[in-house]
Amino acid sequence: MAMDFFESQDAARRNTGRLVILFVLAVIAIMIAIYLLVALLFGVGGGYAEIEGSRRAALLLDWRLMAAVGAITLAVVGLGSLYKMAQLRAGGGFVAESLGGALIHPETTDPVERRVLNVVEEMAIASGTPCPPVYMLGDEKGINAFAAGFSPEDACIGVTRGCAEQLSRDQLQGVIAHEFSHILNGDMRLNIRLIGILNGILVVGIIGYFILRSSFYAGGASRRSGKRDGAGAILLLGAGLAVIGFVGTFFGNWIKAAVSRQREFLADASAVQFTRNPSGIAGALKRIGGYAPGAKVESPNAPEASHMFFGRAITSGLNSIFATHPPLPVRIERLEPSWDGEFITTGPAPEPEAAKAPGAPRAHEARAAAIAGLVGAAAAERPAPPRVSAVKQIGRPTQEHIDHAARLIQRIPAQVANAARESYGARAVVYGLLINREPAPRRVQTDRLDEHADRGVCRLTAELLPALENLSRELRLPLVDLALPALRNLSPPQYAVFKQNVQALVDADGKIDLFEWALQRIILRHLEPQFSRVKPPVTHYYALRRLGRQCSALLSTLAYVGHRDRAAAQRAFSLAISRLAVRSASMLPPEACTMQALDEALHDLNRTTPRLKKQILTACAACVSADREVTVDEAELFRALCDGLSCPMPPLLPGQPLG
Amino acid sequence: MGIAIVIILVVLALIILLSIGWLVGIFNRLVRLRNRFQNAFAQIEVQLKRRHDLIPNLVETAKGYMRHERETLEAVISARNQAVGGLEQAAKDPGNAAAMQGLMGAEGALSGALGRLFAVMEAYPDLKANQNMMQLSEELTSTENKVAFSRQAFNDAVTAYNTYKQSFPAIIFAGMFGHAQDATLLEFEDREAIQEPPKVSFS
Repeated sequence: MAMDFFESQDAARRNTGRLVILFVLAVIAIMIAIYLLVALLFGVGGGYAEIEGSRRAALLLDWRLMAAVGAITLAVVGLGSLYKMAQLRAGGGFVAESLGGALIHPETTDPVERRVLNVVEEMAIASGTPCPPVYMLGDEKGINAFAAGFSPEDACIGVTRGCAEQLSRDQLQGVIAHEFSHILNGDMRLNIRLIGILNGILVVGIIGYFILRSSFYAGGASRRSGKRDGAGAILLLGAGLAVIGFVGTFFGNWIKAAVSRQREFLADASAVQFTRNPSGIAGALKRIGGYAPGAKVESPNAPEASHMFFGRAITSGLNSIFATHPPLPVRIERLEPSWDGEFITTGPAPEPEAAKAPGAPRAHEARAAAIAGLVGAAAAERPAPPRVSAVKQIGRPTQEHIDHAARLIQRIPAQVANAARESYGARAVVYGLLINREPAPRRVQTDRLDEHADRGVCRLTAELLPALENLSRELRLPLVDLALPALRNLSPPQYAVFKQNVQALVDADGKIDLFEWALQRIILRHLEPQFSRVKPPVTHYYALRRLGRQCSALLSTLAYVGHRDRAAAQRAFSLAISRLAVRSASMLPPEACTMQALDEALHDLNRTTPRLKKQILTACAACVSADREVTVDEAELFRALCDGLSCPMPPLLPGQPLG
Repeated sequence: MGIAIVIILVVLALIILLSIGWLVGIFNRLVRLRNRFQNAFAQIEVQLKRRHDLIPNLVETAKGYMRHERETLEAVISARNQAVGGLEQAAKDPGNAAAMQGLMGAEGALSGALGRLFAVMEAYPDLKANQNMMQLSEELTSTENKVAFSRQAFNDAVTAYNTYKQSFPAIIFAGMFGHAQDATLLEFEDREAIQEPPKVSFS
């Protein structure tokens, strides 16, 4: 019943495809309706009434008229949709700001904001995505939250002030997990298509309304001058178009709401799967029910984004068909079948949130046993090391990952973690991670920083260096994840300097090691879209046959990284490649396995379908674990590969198998 | 004849629709750029607040050693209180010329007063050697670096906003859409004191 990440990504894609078909059908229906309208009005009404029946029928099938009406309708609907989609593709931050959100500064000291950020940070590291920026809708009293953006790379999370203040930490975690599952399930892509399609249909109605109005005035004028045959028809045309457009929008909204309700149930279920704690999210829903402002969002732009929210943000008269969210009691009962129907009417007792040290084992650890029956077998085997493979958990973090992430964050020295959370220090952290231990390249690097980086940042880098060099290696990539939101706050010129410095530091020793490559890749992948227009990858390959070269490059590199001895590497490679249906694949010699070749291979492989990505990653996992040993190098590279294929991988838990 | 009218009307409607879309685009871009510099101001605000919070501790520590410098100390405190007010005003409407001028003046005065305090401190070797004092001035230095850095980001964002607003075609509509005033850059009067943080030579 539970779909894995790849299946749900695939399903989202398929659903989008189905919607496109529905949309095409709807547009064809609209074209036919408009054509009939035009033909009837101008064929029958407009002075042709004397023409005998057979000619009239022929006029109804006038192909020139049909083509003209069809082309114009298509153009109007298409432009309307494309315009809206382009606008929404501008990124999650734009949607959040249009709803009245203000970015929560990563370094905030406000305890309420800090708590939200801590919960998001844990969830992000647990799911292996970089921390999304978090927006606070400061004026909204209702309890609500949303995720926006086109892809996980430009996603953001928004919470209302009410949500941040009225929920306990566990409830907040449930809400944030729900939003993360929207991000990971690819719901946002679906949402954007839906809004776009609706907008296109709405435009037909708007044009009709416009014609109706203008011809009403023109009609008034021509009535006075005494000629009125054409005007009446145009008036009717406007009315007809308006009706067609609004009927279309009506059904469109109905479909949108139906789709949205399904996605909400799915996200609720996923949130429980992530947190293993149904009482968190159920509690949040009960709190909404018992709280006077409910989930209402006052922003004038809320109706358009209503289906992105956690709870029902707007209330309309026709609740049951147009509701974007299932009723609260239904959602709660699905989470807690034994619910007694009581809402929670009081806010949480203030919980002290340690500013820097989130995630000490919490109450639900103890509760886990009690709820084990509810969430299935996985929770029951909790104390034992996880047996589920890492590939299966891509995009499906669990409570273990969240706790593990909290522990990881805790193990990062406070000085370093605090620096990573603000844009000034985050640069120093990244520079420091790239500083070589060998004296010669190190001198080149420090000279470069002295010359080109901000003086204060140089000093901070030097200060952080001892802590960074002692940092255990599995903490390095989570630290980068932690630093990304702060780095997004750089201004474009500041980012340009930062990017050049990172490149110079990487190049300093004349060779690129794996960590440098992974770091630079993750940074560029997640920051570049913020500062320049980057096209999201378009699926290009539907089978692996033609990707033999790319798969060989990928698996050869992995094989050499994990195995010192060439024969062992060859064995691992053969084992892995046999799992892929590729043509002409052979192991590359070590000198051909450059980072550049890997970059190119990933670029192509990222343009495959989710199902193929799963096969590729399973093969990678087989290659890594061929010798029954996963080194930190291999784990880091595997994580970077997952990131490169847009598959967020939760951190490896101790003793967990890869594939 | 009827068809021709319909086609003309629909084409007209299409043109109107496209131009509305185009205007909406300009409007949204203006809003987005304004939001961006307002967000950038929040970043300065965090750092300036931290700076303001450090000063009472600094003065408290210095008090024990500098009995004869009450005026200098009081000047620092009153400049700090002015700056807190200036920041509050500015945070309400970042980019507003008057608010920015107020903030710049107040921060300039604070930097001046701090500069005098550090100059006087040279005469108190015990104070300079005080562990607490060393820590505080180190934190002050790093905070001022961060202020300078986030100010740069803010000014970049303001410049981007002003440039877009003053370029064609936005310049025609900016006033209508409620973007009449250019946003003001934040330049601190006493720039030397910020960029060259008070020389703390007791390390």
